Amino acid sequence: MLRNYSRRSLLAVTTAGLSFLAMPVAAQDWPTAPVHLFVGFPAGSSPDTIARIIAEPLSAALGQPVVVENKPGAGGVIGVQQMLAQKGTGHSLGITINGPLTTAPRLIDDLGYDPANDIAPVGLIATSPLVLAVGADYPADDATAFIEDARENPGDISYGSVGQGSGAHLTAELFASEAGIELFHIPFQSYAEVTTSILGGEIDGGFMAPSAALPHVEAGKMKMLGITSAEPFAQVPDVPVLAGQAGLPEDFRAELWNAFIAPAETDDATIQMLNAELIEILGDSEVQKKLLAIGWQTAPGTPDDLSARIAQDTAMWGEVIDKTEAED
Amino acid sequence: MNTLDGLAHGLSVALQPSILVYSLFGALLGTFVGVLPGIGAMAAITLLLPITYYISSEAALVMLAGVYYGAQYGGAVASILLRLPGTPQSAVTTLDGYPLAQQGRAGVALFTSMISSFCGSILGIVILVLLAGWLAEVATMFGAAEYAAMMIMGLVAAATVGGGAPSKSLAMVVVGLILGCVGTDVNSGAQRFTFGQTQLLDGINLVALAMGLFGVAEVIANITKADRHGPPDRITLRQLLPQRNELRRMVAPIARGTTLGGFFGALPGTGSTISSFLSYAMERRVSRKPESFGKGAIEGIAGPEAANNSAAITAFVPTLTLGIPGDPIMALMLGALVIHGIQPGPMMLEARPDMFWGLVASFGIGNLFLLILNLPLIGIWVSMLRIPFRWLYPAIIVFICLGVYSVRGATFDIVMVAGIGAVGYLLALASFSPAMLLLGFVLGPLIETNLRRAMLISRGDPMVFIERPIACLFVVATTGLILFATCKAIFGSRPQPKDEATS
Amino acid sequence: MQRDYQDLAWGAILALLGAFVAAYAATSYEIGNLRRMGPGFFPVALGLVLMLLGAAIGLSALKRAAAPQPLAWREGLGVIGALIIFALLMPRLGVVIATALASLTSSAVAPRQGVLWRLVLCVAVTFLTWLVFVVALDMTIPVWPKVQ
Repeated sequence: MLRNYSRRSLLAVTTAGLSFLAMPVAAQDWPTAPVHLFVGFPAGSSPDTIARIIAEPLSAALGQPVVVENKPGAGGVIGVQQMLAQKGTGHSLGITINGPLTTAPRLIDDLGYDPANDIAPVGLIATSPLVLAVGADYPADDATAFIEDARENPGDISYGSVGQGSGAHLTAELFASEAGIELFHIPFQSYAEVTTSILGGEIDGGFMAPSAALPHVEAGKMKMLGITSAEPFAQVPDVPVLAGQAGLPEDFRAELWNAFIAPAETDDATIQMLNAELIEILGDSEVQKKLLAIGWQTAPGTPDDLSARIAQDTAMWGEVIDKTEAED
Repeated sequence: MNTLDGLAHGLSVALQPSILVYSLFGALLGTFVGVLPGIGAMAAITLLLPITYYISSEAALVMLAGVYYGAQYGGAVASILLRLPGTPQSAVTTLDGYPLAQQGRAGVALFTSMISSFCGSILGIVILVLLAGWLAEVATMFGAAEYAAMMIMGLVAAATVGGGAPSKSLAMVVVGLILGCVGTDVNSGAQRFTFGQTQLLDGINLVALAMGLFGVAEVIANITKADRHGPPDRITLRQLLPQRNELRRMVAPIARGTTLGGFFGALPGTGSTISSFLSYAMERRVSRKPESFGKGAIEGIAGPEAANNSAAITAFVPTLTLGIPGDPIMALMLGALVIHGIQPGPMMLEARPDMFWGLVASFGIGNLFLLILNLPLIGIWVSMLRIPFRWLYPAIIVFICLGVYSVRGATFDIVMVAGIGAVGYLLALASFSPAMLLLGFVLGPLIETNLRRAMLISRGDPMVFIERPIACLFVVATTGLILFATCKAIFGSRPQPKDEATS
Repeated sequence: MQRDYQDLAWGAILALLGAFVAAYAATSYEIGNLRRMGPGFFPVALGLVLMLLGAAIGLSALKRAAAPQPLAWREGLGVIGALIIFALLMPRLGVVIATALASLTSSAVAPRQGVLWRLVLCVAVTFLTWLVFVVALDMTIPVWPKVQ
């Protein structure tokens, strides 16, 4: 293994030296060693699957192995922390969901990093909307009827989420405050528990990934009333968008996303190169198909796009958190 | 497709040479990682996940399932020989398995565990085939109130299985419950007892706790002790096998354990842990010689081993019929299916009967493999005890480190093992039961979140525990257990330490 | 025979732990009430119960005599030290060096004189670990010290 390393780095150094003459672009001396991709979720989870789908073509493009390192915990925060604990040489990168970059500073006391200053965004990978799903017996058949029902019975309709401050919780609260209704929040540990609870008639509904609701909808046990994306989603094309319905603003949008990030001290040229590779990979129809199969729509963009998205979502969810904290 | 056709079809799927090979490979790897302390099915499945992208979905699932139940067989070996349980289920196996091994009857303990595991699995498959639909239905009837009531019953029923003074057992349960509070509170998001450590936000790592309390504590205690009595004498085949009356004594515990495991396993959550502890508590209660428990009672191995293997099979019920994974391992397997474009759920039995029945058939074949494979290995495992302990324990320590690290790649957890191990050694010295601590730790968060959730859903009305019939049943059973124990403590013939009154 | 100091001490420790947990939870987290329990409710209740149980264990030990248990502190230090050495060195120096050092540390407290067998054991354990975790299980762990 050691011999392998040194031979590789020797090769890399030589190529770097040669290409320096031909093409005076910085960051040509990268990568000199295997690239570690930190993921804050366990193997088999959707961020992990996304990381592995990206890792394979990325490794081919970089000519170095890309090793996915699972550092699960604290809603993905541990993965970001572990990435930041490494040196910013471009050999330790990360893939994370939105939480650790947007809501974590508000929700976790000892975060140990500041998303705005310690993280260099590389690019957005994919987004996933949530659907508003209710049990099959629920009286309302569309979002308008649901909101009307909630207006008549404030605080009576219960919904499940995967914990205080989770995407599902904040999305529901955003939905409720935009629609001017009051819903009753029941926190759970996992979507599996939320689903069981809806199927058992214990709670009325909840926001969840389309792929989680789909099998139960097909079996006639659940209904999907609306989706939080701006456009209908390819996996569930029949579900209408919530935006603009029953008094909801036209720009109502709440999505989960996965992004490619690096430590802030990473070389700019490296970031640009990674971003170019990422956009190339996301343009591949095979990759798009694989991502869609697990419920994610590719959303390639520049590092600046990602920065803007982080700032925008931080502000949006920050307001929702303010509101829920005021209610407690 | 009716059940018989289904099974026949399933056998034809499972007996394809390529599927057989993957099943065998999975079972082998599962046994291998199960024997290694700390490394469990989870780590092995994680490892195999990338491979599953490239093979057929049947082969992938059969292989992962092989790892899953293979690890249960292997886990018993480390628990019995070295008191190194990787899971709470195998912690129950140490209670009587390890004393038997200490008495030079490790072969009997291993044989009992394997034959009980096998019977539990096979009967679990029968339960799966006959009752899958019904169990899935029952599983959705279990809401927060039912879970809370059931877990409390489990805790009460099993709270004193550790033996020794009841006040000490209860204290350990409570310490376990308190340790279970560490981390982010699901209901409020409050970060409890984390003291600024983000690594503690998801709670204390279960494997680190089990390894510290059992493994490390035992290693420290054994270093000086073990070399004093020399290696056990050469063992004949006859000594490896249980006597006929011992075989007979296994039958009833296996039947009871399987039933318990088959039922609780189908409930998403920690069905297999609770059924192992309940089975142990039950065997002790029905036994004519309850004092033999904890000192090497065959029944104390047979019941829980049958229970946890039968639970491992019926754990597939919610995964396959509802698409709802009961534990992280099931979630991994579900992930493997989704990669192949198969969405397990209510429609799976109709949409992919080949998959469902093939899997069921492969469970049977895989378990047969495991039995055939493991019985001859008993001799090798037992002869391992002849190696002087000083040659073994440095490797055990490193294996514990890597096993714990494999769970989530955190060296923080290894430091936790060191701390927990030191305290665990001192606790063991004062004969506090580590199994009780583990029981409290596993059930605590479930009881708390479900109790609070039930009260939240009922808008603060405690009558929910009486009005919902299943919950009410558990409440009545729990009350009965407490009354029974109190009466026994007051009027019982057995002399009991005075301090039970404080419970 | 002397008084059962061990149980006495543990009773006191558990009671103090219970008191600490209850006090810490009561001051740091919201307790709520039975209808709507806050995050402090369970820890406070459990802390109080542990206090009582600790007191019961300690008090019953007062009336009892017990032989003191020998404490294997040397062995304990060796084992705990090995674990900590492994945890601290593995990410930096890789699994091979960490294993070798942890194995030497833990075998140092074995009740048998001699250096040679310890070295042999160290090599054997390191090789076995490498074989099982790096070769067979292909775990994502640093094997050697980082080059950079």
